[in-house]
Amino acid sequence: MGIEKLKTVLKNKNRSLTLKTPIISASGTYGYSDEYEDFIDLNCFGAISTKGITLEKRLGNDGDRIFEVKGGMINRIGLENVGIEKFIETKLPILRKKKIDFLLNIAGSTSQDYEKLALIAQKNNIEAIEVNVSCPNVKSGCLEFGLNPNSLYDLTSKIRKNYDGFLIVKLSPNTSDIKALATAVEEAGADCISAINTLRGLGIKLDWVGKKFIKKSVQGGLSGACIKPVALYMVNQIKEAVKIPIIAMGGIEKLQDLFEFISVGADAFQIGTANFINPSICSNLAKELNEFMIKNEIKDFEELKEVIKND
Amino acid sequence: MKDYKGKIKSVKKISIDAYELLIQSDLENAISGQFISILCPNTTLRRPFSIAGFDKETKTLKILIKLKGDGTNYLKTLKENDEINFLAPLGNGFKIENKKSLLIGAGIGIAPMLFLKDELKNKNIENYLISGFKAQEEMIEGSDKTVIGGSVLDNLDEIIKEKNIEILYSCGPHIVLKLVSQLAKKHNIEAQVAMEKTMACSIGVCRGCIIKINKQGKIENASVCKDGPVFYGDEVIWE
Repeated sequence: MGIEKLKTVLKNKNRSLTLKTPIISASGTYGYSDEYEDFIDLNCFGAISTKGITLEKRLGNDGDRIFEVKGGMINRIGLENVGIEKFIETKLPILRKKKIDFLLNIAGSTSQDYEKLALIAQKNNIEAIEVNVSCPNVKSGCLEFGLNPNSLYDLTSKIRKNYDGFLIVKLSPNTSDIKALATAVEEAGADCISAINTLRGLGIKLDWVGKKFIKKSVQGGLSGACIKPVALYMVNQIKEAVKIPIIAMGGIEKLQDLFEFISVGADAFQIGTANFINPSICSNLAKELNEFMIKNEIKDFEELKEVIKND
Repeated sequence: MKDYKGKIKSVKKISIDAYELLIQSDLENAISGQFISILCPNTTLRRPFSIAGFDKETKTLKILIKLKGDGTNYLKTLKENDEINFLAPLGNGFKIENKKSLLIGAGIGIAPMLFLKDELKNKNIENYLISGFKAQEEMIEGSDKTVIGGSVLDNLDEIIKEKNIEILYSCGPHIVLKLVSQLAKKHNIEAQVAMEKTMACSIGVCRGCIIKINKQGKIENASVCKDGPVFYGDEVIWE
């Protein structure tokens, strides 16, 4: 598959991360390792961001977890995952053996959780981690860190101390001042920002059955095409505030979306909800992007970014 | 499991709000209890449907759809030779045993039961399909006995005893599957039930369609799409 033009280097003054392509599958939409192998050659895109991993195994939320809305969906999975120990033991070998590039997505309830996870990533020579400080679906931790610039600065600094690899912090859009959060993360030593995580949302369905309404409601994180304008706005704001690279996400499902995100400062992309609709979308997008660049004589991804920004 | 391009062979109205779709594709194998997940242009997520029949020679799948929302209302408008994209075959199907079988389909839950009945017949396994519908106009044909109005469950004790039933298979609303599982326990026989839950990815990745099961004394999560949709009645932790 043609991806030769898509080499992407995310770099700041201290570190860099080289990806085969700028297309990354978003956390929680691609499993831990090779789950999508039936549909695509996993070596053909930038990286997978693993399902959010916590120190201990988590069973996630009870009850309904998915609610479809116009142009998107609400999820309240609640960080169900196997835990870091089992990930290292059973999933990491698969990633390494199959040479699948990945970002280890980590989440915790306390600052100590994140510090320990960072240390484990360091010890296992994991090249890049993406810190989830913005999951809207767990009761404590996580989002609380992600919404206050001071606590986010502290948390990022502590993770930085324990981890020398490429440190990405994933920001929440559920804030009135994304610039302050982005600045805090950059000042604390993060190498890159990914944004946006899901938006808080509430889905309600009322069915008239017999002589009464039966109500179903799911409160959680809203994702999909419907959040793209919010994501574009947030990425634009982040770009104004920081110099470190940005991995953009939020409703991406076609080539045009990639261009739009580049125009507001994206250096790479994550694809989330669209994977559920088309499991081959990551490789299809990479291929389409590559073809577009060949056809239009654009040398490489850096040049594409320049072309879009200068127009 | 992969994605297929299917060609619609026919769309036939089979009750007031249900349709039968025949879809031809390259899919070579499928068993009852498994499902397909169809891409609908007017919905965010794919729509899962139990396989209601499969003809290996012509590689034709049968599904039954009950009109519920945007997805099913789109599918009913399809015409012969229209193309659809679907993921298949998904999930684990029924594990057929050579035992006198009672099949219980509630509402549109009859779909995988019809396929299972075909399979049992081909294996010469004695079987009896009972199905239940809310009203006459909702009835879908193909059962040995059909209950209209009342509960499909009311007749089961008698049938189990009369026909010396050794295993139950069922598909339908959560409450029916729960009661079928309890009935199996009471009669000390096995039940296999095909469950349903709102899904996002339909291949086990997103963890959206989780139920709780009892695995050797430990409570574990299981995904309806990948670990199921068929579970043993006595392993499900019923809500």
